[in-house]
Amino acid sequence: MTKRFMVRPALCIGCRTCELACSLTHQEGKTPGRTRIYPLAVGKEKWVPVACLQCDDPACVKSCLVDALRMNEELGYIELLQERCIKCRACVAACPFGCSLIDEEQEIIVKCDLCEGNPACARFCPTKALEYK
Amino acid sequence: MKIQINGRWYKAREGEMVLDVLRREGIEVPALCAHEAVEPYGACRLCMVEITHEDWGGWKGNVTSCLYPVEDKLIVQTHTEDVIELRKMVLNLLLARCPNTPEIQKLAEEYGIDITDFVPREDADDCIMCGLCTRVCTQMGFNAISVAGRGYDREVATPLKEAPPDCVGCLACVNICPTNHIKYQDVGTTREIWGRQFELVKCKECGKALITREFADYLIKNRDIPADYFDVCDDCKRAGTAKNFKKLVHWEEKEEAEEEVSV
Ligand code: SF4
Ligand code: SF4
Ligand code: SF4
Ligand code: FES
Repeated sequence: MTKRFMVRPALCIGCRTCELACSLTHQEGKTPGRTRIYPLAVGKEKWVPVACLQCDDPACVKSCLVDALRMNEELGYIELLQERCIKCRACVAACPFGCSLIDEEQEIIVKCDLCEGNPACARFCPTKALEYK
Repeated sequence: MKIQINGRWYKAREGEMVLDVLRREGIEVPALCAHEAVEPYGACRLCMVEITHEDWGGWKGNVTSCLYPVEDKLIVQTHTEDVIELRKMVLNLLLARCPNTPEIQKLAEEYGIDITDFVPREDADDCIMCGLCTRVCTQMGFNAISVAGRGYDREVATPLKEAPPDCVGCLACVNICPTNHIKYQDVGTTREIWGRQFELVKCKECGKALITREFADYLIKNRDIPADYFDVCDDCKRAGTAKNFKKLVHWEEKEEAEEEVSV
């Protein structure tokens, strides 16, 4: 059984530790990468961490005309093959949750890869609002 | 399976090319016409390597690594004298074709060539005729550009050199070109490429633009993506996702969780 990424917004305190953990884990060049997770404020003392849902019928995969996106069955996440991507932004425009992203600094397209089986955001979340189990 | 490169063994996968292994392992070999998004083509001839095998009775040969499939116990040398000479020859010619192109100048310099021995092309542009742009455009299903003309006058062009009817303005060709030959311009929400103008889809909420209307329409029609997915940009969609989740969350969970901790 593959593990599941679980989000419990009620426990989120908006500390943004997940963002930092994500950026530092995804260091493509010399600088930290763009975070793939966003704890967004939705009201007084209320946050919802938004990240890729690794959809069953993913719009990003369907939109990619060069097959740079595919389901990694083993680890249960949608993988972006950087060497294949020609940065057409179709997936960025198509994802209904806004979770395929442009990393302007590195000039690449990025998305959550669940840290290939050990998501840093969940490891560092102090309140267990994010868990991978 | 395993292949040997410059004396060390590396894992290789059935069906891949020698160049795929070289790139994965970070072994530096120039390769200007190969990109994972398209099928290999063997046009630039820079990726030449020497190959041999213990079963080949001493036979050795030079091949384009982007087109040569791996086989178990293949022995590869990436920098033999012969191979370096071949690359120098190619670079010498490329530098005559594109004397003012920084990417080519730099690569030639790495191989000790400052000026070409051949007559540099007059009014030279930056196209090295690698065919990546036309191949990626075909791969994406648009087929908007192709190589026109013969010999010296060959160039990448649109049909009849007019604004290409099949282009959707996706910029795949711009992004894949190794020498930045293909130019485009975004002014406000208008994109111009190959002499044609496109309108970019503007986010209904904030106005941010990501792709052209034509590209979005293609994806809606051919890739079964609901049209309204393209109405809003990624930033506003994340915000919308948060708002939608807000309605589903049992916010009391927080107090319950805290109570549990304090017990
Ligand atoms: S930006 Fe890259 S991953 Fe996204 S659809 Fe285009 S080629 Fe595929
Ligand atoms: S921008 Fe036009 S010519 Fe270039 S790859 Fe896209 S459809 Fe083809
Ligand atoms: S325009 Fe660029 S990608 Fe196209 S053939 Fe010329 S060098 Fe290659
Ligand atoms: S990369 Fe192999 S011939 Fe160009």
